[in-house]
Amino acid sequence: MVIDDSRAMRLILRRIVTGLNFDVVEAGNGREAMDRLEELEAVPELALIDWNMPEMNGLEFVTAVRADKKYRGMTLMMVTTESEHGQIVRALAAGAHEYVIKPFTPDAIVDKLVMLGLIPDGAHA
Amino acid sequence: MAPTGDDLQQIAEQVWASYLDTDGAKPLIPLPPDKLSKDVVAGVAVSGAWHGLVLVACSDVASKEAAAALLGMESDDVTEGDVDDALGELANVIGGNVKSLLPEPCTLGLPEVHNNADGDPWLAGDEICRFEATWMGEPMEVSVLEKPQGGGTE
Repeated sequence: MVIDDSRAMRLILRRIVTGLNFDVVEAGNGREAMDRLEELEAVPELALIDWNMPEMNGLEFVTAVRADKKYRGMTLMMVTTESEHGQIVRALAAGAHEYVIKPFTPDAIVDKLVMLGLIPDGAHA
Repeated sequence: MAPTGDDLQQIAEQVWASYLDTDGAKPLIPLPPDKLSKDVVAGVAVSGAWHGLVLVACSDVASKEAAAALLGMESDDVTEGDVDDALGELANVIGGNVKSLLPEPCTLGLPEVHNNADGDPWLAGDEICRFEATWMGEPMEVSVLEKPQGGGTE
């Protein structure tokens, strides 16, 4: 799942993870993502989450997902411009597994997914 | 602690290398453009311990090229909505990185995109730094405006 209020950023992230054989569902903010989660038959393996979004921001989404046991298996990765140490700590404390700061290269995303064990090392040759 | 033009250049070059010039064919050239043009201005407000705007301004042609590059489409097919989305995200990414150079705590607003913004009260403020560049032969500028505390950053 790719959650970002920018269509351009969703497209960039979609291209990266589609190339890693993930199927992608998109949402434009945290609220829309929660709605999409309710509709989906299977819980997504991974969510890439922007921080600053209208309606429900990324931190609120992470908090909401972590409060619901049925999404326990979902890996949450913040992908955001928020680069201060305190913000990173807040996101990780709320339940995000990883944190990528924009601007990022495709390799930065791939490296994090390898670290999280979601793809094998060398999957993006 | 305040960002400088060199900081803006470094941030802008990282953003271009990541999203708009991934193969090195369309570099952001750190030279003032031959012509000045701010047809499109995208900005994000910063508020908190510091108040102001981080802006990305460019010509209409450059805005369409940027949207085309980010959205993977031909520039002739780019709509105003595409430009708003793409330039807004550029301002958001640059703004987030500039925010890390400002006094804490600050929060970043959502991006706004204004066309033909000369004289727009949104742009009132004191410019504290600027980076002028040329991209694909078109003017591109990143700047930071400081506003009086609580003034007009919404």
